[in-house]
Amino acid sequence: MSGRAIVITSGKGGVGKTTATANLGLGLAQHDRKVVLVDGDIGLRNLDIILGLENRIVYHLVDVVRGHCQVRQALVKDKRFPHLSLLPASQIDQKESINPEQMRELATQLKEEFDFVLIDCPAGIEQGFRNAVAGADEAIVITTPDVSPVRDADRVIGLLQHSLGDPQLIINRMATQMVQRGDMLNQQDVLDILAVDLLGIVPEDEEVVVAGNRGSPVVLNEKSRSGQAYGRIVRRMLGEDVPIPELNGHGGLFHRLGKLFSRR
Amino acid sequence: MAWGTLVQRWFGNKGSAGLAKDRLQVVVMYDRLGLSAEQMEALRKDIMETISRHVAIDSERVKIDFMPTPAEVTITAPVRRSRTRGEEPKPQEG
Repeated sequence: MSGRAIVITSGKGGVGKTTATANLGLGLAQHDRKVVLVDGDIGLRNLDIILGLENRIVYHLVDVVRGHCQVRQALVKDKRFPHLSLLPASQIDQKESINPEQMRELATQLKEEFDFVLIDCPAGIEQGFRNAVAGADEAIVITTPDVSPVRDADRVIGLLQHSLGDPQLIINRMATQMVQRGDMLNQQDVLDILAVDLLGIVPEDEEVVVAGNRGSPVVLNEKSRSGQAYGRIVRRMLGEDVPIPELNGHGGLFHRLGKLFSRR
Repeated sequence: MAWGTLVQRWFGNKGSAGLAKDRLQVVVMYDRLGLSAEQMEALRKDIMETISRHVAIDSERVKIDFMPTPAEVTITAPVRRSRTRGEEPKPQEG
């Protein structure tokens, strides 16, 4: 068996890579896929706390790469979801502790056992980014509809195109009301600039903070809008044709007028 | 640009999103080209010299702009107006 290794990246920090990795991983596990989440952010690990697994770590990624333990020993199994495992990052090492070749070997090994290997990429485009990308076959880029994350996303897309081809895009933290009054880039604006395929849109949602506090990703909360959005993205990743609902908040007179002229 | 966006703008959409998009398109275009300041200056100089060989221009005010949609580079070279009629350089032939 050979699974899919997907890096989740953004360039800009703080746009929701780790949250997205946790939610997509959990969502895939809910669909009975075997999933391992690899925290690629050596020195600044966070995937463990978002998943509520921070007290269960014994070994980590750098231990595995250095041969201090077997991969299997370092994997933290989520007791709530038997299909989900976490390979935590080291908190005391540097990004340079591992190299792209080692990451590639590790991913190859993980792909034999898991359907999905999701690699949470650190912010930036330096060694940590190169390591995380080296292990992947595909990429998902996360951005928010703000100027600096979109600009950085474009840069990262350019870098990814050399190695992995066109990534897919998730637009995170879309605030419907701001889009409605014309104070936030809408999905078409972002796509016009970045020119990649859209995998999904996650609305701005306070529940994400609550979920982080609890260590219980929002995809588990079926009532939350962001959780539902992640659920739809997961189904698209599994090949289902799930339409992307308009979170633009458009629907006012001008938008409908515009649509009359539009042949899109 | 989508018609929807156009219509929205005609009807006085005063939001900042349009400005964000315009600014991003320009900045992303420059980022993608990856030209350094020196390379830009070299390009400006080359173009200026080429045009000056045929037309008297105000070299201080030559401007190069990259426009994202459709992707194009625009060179604005103001022609000096001090020359009198009949003194313009003849188009070079052959």
